[in-house]
Amino acid sequence: MTIFLKAGGQLRPMLKPDMDHYTRKIEIEEGMTVGEILEEISLDSAYVALIHVDGRLKDLSFRPSNGQTITLQPPVSGG
Amino acid sequence: MSLSKSECERYQRQLLIESWDQERLTNARVLVAGVGGLGGISAAYLAAAGVGHLRLCDSDRVEPSNLNRQILFTTEDIGQPKAVLVGKRLSAQNPEIHIEAISEKMTETNASKLVLGCDLIIDGLDTHSDRLILNQTSFDLNIPFIYGAINEWLGQVSSFNPPKTACLACLMPGELQTSKPAPAFGALPGVIGSLQATLALRYLMTGENPVSNTLLIFHADALTFETVTFERRAGCGVCGKTVPPGR
Repeated sequence: MTIFLKAGGQLRPMLKPDMDHYTRKIEIEEGMTVGEILEEISLDSAYVALIHVDGRLKDLSFRPSNGQTITLQPPVSGG
Repeated sequence: MSLSKSECERYQRQLLIESWDQERLTNARVLVAGVGGLGGISAAYLAAAGVGHLRLCDSDRVEPSNLNRQILFTTEDIGQPKAVLVGKRLSAQNPEIHIEAISEKMTETNASKLVLGCDLIIDGLDTHSDRLILNQTSFDLNIPFIYGAINEWLGQVSSFNPPKTACLACLMPGELQTSKPAPAFGALPGVIGSLQATLALRYLMTGENPVSNTLLIFHADALTFETVTFERRAGCGVCGKTVPPGR
């Protein structure tokens, strides 16, 4: 199935977007968790501060469904 | 409470706003923790609005690399203590209010002393670890905490008041991996600091928290806002523990 990962800030170059400036299309096996997906694309989850889907907070154990967009929020800590 | 003639003139435009409560603002005490990009902006708007007592806490001195975004400072201020400079500047902006400038770094040891007696905390800090100290203190003393943070083109705002809401540690409990020095678009603290000031003034006058359990994210590169909702986390190391006495 197909999912879309989206990231900005310092995570964007790590994600290597291919759809638009922020988004990468990925084919995954059904039932995979976000943690497993990040491992598969060699994106270190230590650099992901938050994960959200459709405006709701999720975590690395979330299992996306076909066509979903998962947003990876980089650390934001400056002032 | 009756306002003096000079206060009536100074606050005339906001007094025209229906349900504006100047008395509550005059009686309010707010800690602004960090007076750089975010805290400098929010403190300036709180002072201008007439928040009666501002406690400004920052141990840093002005550096040249601050000047792209910390607009209360000038080139001549380089090397001077930020808290003292902002205190002087805001006292000149509004002599009707009381300002305390404290050039100390907030730590686990002194945080309670710095926060004590305040009605509200504004976060103008620049590391997540310092914010977690502030969050713990906010919870321990039951004082609401208005969070803000920036990085590159991204800004975030929320407001925490557990046990009514989740706390910062429910959302981001641990250290964050960030690049140093952190990239910062200069106008972004202006947007996020202004949103923090807006939340603070609304809260002080009405007790409302429109971003309860919500993280507001601003993408300055796309000029878009998005919201992420979250819940109090049962295993949270701060607010998931036993509720302190008196709650």
